[in-house]
Amino acid sequence: MSDFSIIGKPTAMVDAAGKTTGAGKYTDDLSLPGMLVGKILHSPYPHARIQRIDTSRAEQLDGVVAVVIGKDAPTPYGILPVGHDEHALVTDKVRYVGDNVACVAAVDEATADKALELIDVEYEVLPAYFDPEDSMKAQSDFIHDNKPQNIEKDYHHVFGDTEKALAEAACVAEARFIANEVTHAAMEPHSTLAAFEIDSHTGKPGRLTVWSSTQVPYYLQHKLSLVLEMPMAQIRVIKPLVGGGFGGKSEVIPLEIIAAVAARKAQAPVKITYTREEVFWAHRGRPRTIIDLKTGADKDGHITAVKARVVQDGGGYCSYGVVTILYSGALLGALYDIPNIQYDGYRVLTNKPVCGAMRGHGTVNVRFAFESQLDELALKLKIDPAEIRRRNLLKPPCVTINGLRVQSYGLPECIDKVVERSGWRERKGKLPKGCGLGIACSHYVSGAANSIIRSDMPHSTVNIKIDRDGGVVVYTGASDIGQGSDTMVAQIASEVLGCSLGRVKVIAADTDLTPIDIGSYSSRVTFMNGNATLRAAQEVKKLLIAAAAKKMNCAAEDLVFRDDRVGKKHVAAGDSPAQDGRGRPSPHELSTDGQASVSGRVEGQILRGSLQQKRKDEGPKDAMTFEEAVVAAIDFHGALTGTGSYAPPQEARGGKHKGAGVGPSPAYSYSAQVAEVSVDEDTGEVTVHKVWAAHDCGRALNPVSVEGQIIGSVWMGMGQALTEEMVWKDGMLMNPGLLEYRSPSSVESPEVEPIIVESVDPEGPFGAKECSEGSLAATIPAISNAIYDAVGVRLHESPFTPERVLAALRAKKAEKKIDLTEGVDPTAPTRFREHGGSLWFRGKGPARHPLDPARREAPAGGDD
Amino acid sequence: MSLPQFRLLRPRSVEEAVGYLATHASNIRVLAGGTDLIPSMRQKLFEPEYVLDVRRIAELQGIRPQRGVGVEIGVLTTLNAIEHSDFLRKHYPVLTEAAATVASPVLRNMGTIGGNICLDTRCLWYNQSLTWRKACGFCIKKNGDLCHVAPGGTKCWAVFSGDTPPALLCLNAEVEIASPSGARRLPLREFYTGIGDDYRKLQPNELLTRVFLPESSADYRGVYRKLRVRGSIDYPLAGVAVVVKRSDGHVSDARLALTAVNPAPVLVKGASAMLSGKTMTEELADKVGDLAARTAKPLTTSALTPEYRREMIRVFTRRAILAIANN
Amino acid sequence: MKKELIELNVNGRTHELAIEPSKLLLDALRQDLQLTGSKRGCDDSSCGACTVLVDGIPMLSCTMLAASCEGQEITTVEGVSEHGSLAAIQKAYGDWGGAQCGYCTPGFMMTVKHLLAVNANPTEEEVRSALSSNLCRCTGYSQMYQAIKAAIEAEQKAVPST
Repeated sequence: MSDFSIIGKPTAMVDAAGKTTGAGKYTDDLSLPGMLVGKILHSPYPHARIQRIDTSRAEQLDGVVAVVIGKDAPTPYGILPVGHDEHALVTDKVRYVGDNVACVAAVDEATADKALELIDVEYEVLPAYFDPEDSMKAQSDFIHDNKPQNIEKDYHHVFGDTEKALAEAACVAEARFIANEVTHAAMEPHSTLAAFEIDSHTGKPGRLTVWSSTQVPYYLQHKLSLVLEMPMAQIRVIKPLVGGGFGGKSEVIPLEIIAAVAARKAQAPVKITYTREEVFWAHRGRPRTIIDLKTGADKDGHITAVKARVVQDGGGYCSYGVVTILYSGALLGALYDIPNIQYDGYRVLTNKPVCGAMRGHGTVNVRFAFESQLDELALKLKIDPAEIRRRNLLKPPCVTINGLRVQSYGLPECIDKVVERSGWRERKGKLPKGCGLGIACSHYVSGAANSIIRSDMPHSTVNIKIDRDGGVVVYTGASDIGQGSDTMVAQIASEVLGCSLGRVKVIAADTDLTPIDIGSYSSRVTFMNGNATLRAAQEVKKLLIAAAAKKMNCAAEDLVFRDDRVGKKHVAAGDSPAQDGRGRPSPHELSTDGQASVSGRVEGQILRGSLQQKRKDEGPKDAMTFEEAVVAAIDFHGALTGTGSYAPPQEARGGKHKGAGVGPSPAYSYSAQVAEVSVDEDTGEVTVHKVWAAHDCGRALNPVSVEGQIIGSVWMGMGQALTEEMVWKDGMLMNPGLLEYRSPSSVESPEVEPIIVESVDPEGPFGAKECSEGSLAATIPAISNAIYDAVGVRLHESPFTPERVLAALRAKKAEKKIDLTEGVDPTAPTRFREHGGSLWFRGKGPARHPLDPARREAPAGGDD
Repeated sequence: MSLPQFRLLRPRSVEEAVGYLATHASNIRVLAGGTDLIPSMRQKLFEPEYVLDVRRIAELQGIRPQRGVGVEIGVLTTLNAIEHSDFLRKHYPVLTEAAATVASPVLRNMGTIGGNICLDTRCLWYNQSLTWRKACGFCIKKNGDLCHVAPGGTKCWAVFSGDTPPALLCLNAEVEIASPSGARRLPLREFYTGIGDDYRKLQPNELLTRVFLPESSADYRGVYRKLRVRGSIDYPLAGVAVVVKRSDGHVSDARLALTAVNPAPVLVKGASAMLSGKTMTEELADKVGDLAARTAKPLTTSALTPEYRREMIRVFTRRAILAIANN
Repeated sequence: MKKELIELNVNGRTHELAIEPSKLLLDALRQDLQLTGSKRGCDDSSCGACTVLVDGIPMLSCTMLAASCEGQEITTVEGVSEHGSLAAIQKAYGDWGGAQCGYCTPGFMMTVKHLLAVNANPTEEEVRSALSSNLCRCTGYSQMYQAIKAAIEAEQKAVPST
């Protein structure tokens, strides 16, 4: 028998039926009487000053109720306090193709679409910057006036003496890696519905309710308050079902503010749902990244130093950029024992859609470079790639040189498990030609130890109330975005209270009803909201215990709550509550008063009557049903409520250096993976056959969900490794749709064998850590390393598309040179490659496009 | 994204359909499976006043073998029906193989053979929303006068991306076209122009009605090979169809056609001569592969690089020929 | 554009609707009939989230005109559950993690319903091939295979084969 009755059991999500029947409501499924459709006018230029906007023609169109522009809500906002550089609608300049210029609220979509065509905007086109390394050289026309050289933020960290260690290293590897840009592509396009109510006392528009596809309802409430200049208490944000986030809904997305601004002006509810193209423009995905990486090791393969220079192409606004560039450096630590780390990170602004947080935030691209280079070192030193990773393990509990506290550390077991399951020892290097195995590791935070808005406020608070009918209601601000946090919360509450899952109802992510939780990002929810739930449940349980102890005439510590029953330790020690023998309830007794334990099947009122009747008749009891304990507790204490909250401990909040706030976490998850691939040497096509992925999640609260998260992470990593790439040409996204942005289909998706490793973290709820992000990063280098094993080419540029792989193979064989990759060698890339063709016609001919350099005295920033 | 508004016409016979076409020829689009037209209408690539929904014309459905002549396929026959036709699989295997690779199963349930033949040419600079196209200054194929793929040129290079037409070309298919003046038959090879923005010889008042495969093309061995990034959903980025008739270990007749690398599906000239009378060897396959690669003119209309797509024409041709040889 | 009156048969019921001829079936279902189970995930007919059955065949409701479907029987995800209870495939998707965020799930329900209707015991390859009509961004598809297997077993248990 396991120690738990709910925790650790595969559990269907509490909202599964709504999803499989179509009854569950996502934001775009909602409608209100008199609701208008909002459509946004986007910028056709990557960088331009707005000279004039005339909305009068649009306003006159029949069916148009309101047109809003920048001056209707001019207060800037941004997800980071240091990055308040966005407006609901631009006030001065547009900074990327797709930037938000105006919004029409109309009676239907077709009318709104028509009205957009009637808005006259005069632009002064400015030189634009598309490549971050070019952008950093800018002397004028900065994207934001207060960011010289278009550098959003740069950090320069030195821990230890990297130069000395590299000089003394037995073996050094150095290379440039390039990771191209990817995006979340959650299946649900963003949607927001905003409606004002008329205040009964003033008779004027008062409270605002916003339903939105968000991972962060409380930040949304906060930013709405800022931009609309309304008190937060007047704003209610409700998160309906969310069709996937992956970070793409983890900050305030333009439509969320625009819908509210439009609803205010239109004096009617407004719903905006993005087209898929708009989702790509809203983006906030993983920036394309240049990583110049140098790693040194001693002759036994112990890493002595790492030096990394990272340049991220952040797009037109800050978004999470400052955090992303810090994660890239900070999480060089906490996976392996590295005594010397030097990090130079540059977050650069360009005239492209904005990058933000995406699954594995900040860690993924650097991890691709690092784990690839580690294999190169292993090769040079003739050490097995699995072995070199074992030789560099941390020795926890410890604090890394860059100030990250590591307690639970399941990485050694993860490596052992994937080595064993994949048959690494027997098969590595022995597979047929064209087939290979590769290993890599990764890790991630279980929530950031420091919140975005620095304060000592708890990161999560949870309330629980238990009614006389034995129903347990958990009020949590946690945002279920499909990862199953509502289910996690229900499981923890029911485990602690010893009641069945069916008793627990979760009310989540409604700022009017639920206490603050800062959101579903940085994989914080299980750890932080789980702990808050645990504490809330423990608090309310104290009341139940006191009452039950009195009723049962025993010490509080003798009581056991389990399976909807309260028993004494010696009594309730069995798997089944039904025990026979003296002094214990007989099966017959159980079946009568046990009715109460059959959740939801007994009408509350009748039940209460019968219980009260019983109570009068009985003396001290040896066991009680959960309801009896509840009724007793209410009789003693009055209302049954409990509150719990969680704030990361001071020791886990990191060092003192500039930027030390990002990277620290109360706990880290760990992953090791082996990928098996084959490479078609004539076409360069890579097939991933199987990935063995071991993930240390502390404890698997719900194994079916944990496995789903591991598989999903690995699979998304595989997408970034092989098929997904945002293709750019002078700031134009060439593939803003699911047809051309290729998220893998079922036929090329490999089998992923998830292996759960439980290190039981001392601070996690029941020992749990994160399981939804940490596995993504390892997949890309595991595949890269497997490609090397299969065909002996090492790609330094992702994704490993067939043309890149074939170019590398051809170069290796020194065959007749064909430029398969348009001048960028994927084994030694120097710069980002843009799509071929031309936005404008260079040279002779008419100037057809305002960005055409021929039309300008000074050439624009682009280079085709 | 809403569709532009239009009037919907739903004829029940070819005659009625052709009548509508004659009346509204200047501003009408034909709707069959919808998998090409509807997404394009969302992007405002087409904003017709009338849409002619031909799905109810029963006579345009079905696969009808005609003894001694060949087989007649109604244009509304779905790609799924072609993929699963025992008759076609037995006698015209290259067609069923090509049909089976189109897009995804659900799109094959909807898409028709007629639609695949008439598929609009595609380009990353063209198959985009109105806002996107505005941002790039439009292009020759729609609303503009510039080609972003071949800057400085005046020709549209949008690429033909149907999977079944190269197979049909190999099979010497003919198409029947109905118009107010009656029906005419045309070899499919004469149906395409090779010009991206005016890619087919079909007048606005004409309707493609039937496809004929001659019995003389029956029982050729055939193979279709297609380059795509995903194993489903994607349009081809390069495609090769090969049919071969053998006698006594020699090739007695062969044809080779390409798709997704030119503004039209093309028969590779000289391939038949190169293969006929020969024994299929690796050397011969290489030679034909080189020939095919020279015929392909891929440009930056699509994902992956043009040079890579041309190389894949070489590799896939070689593989297709060897697959038939070893079959 | 003037609205026209059409009759749409959805989940066994006939509805009279006044719609514009340009209205997509998906929008008619979601907006006019409040059947919001079918989802819009893309605008280029690639994702499959809007899949419905038309005369029993999976089709993309975002790629069809509602007016073109007159006289045909449309089944949406709302028509899958049986007698007010979950169908075996719906239960299995919940139990086995086949649905995470759930947005693609209605489309998959229709695809799988059709698959099992025409092939009661598909091989894994047949399942993979059938599922390639629909994109999912959460699951990597793996747990769907387990769910489908479980649903088949549940069905077989419910109806003992002869």
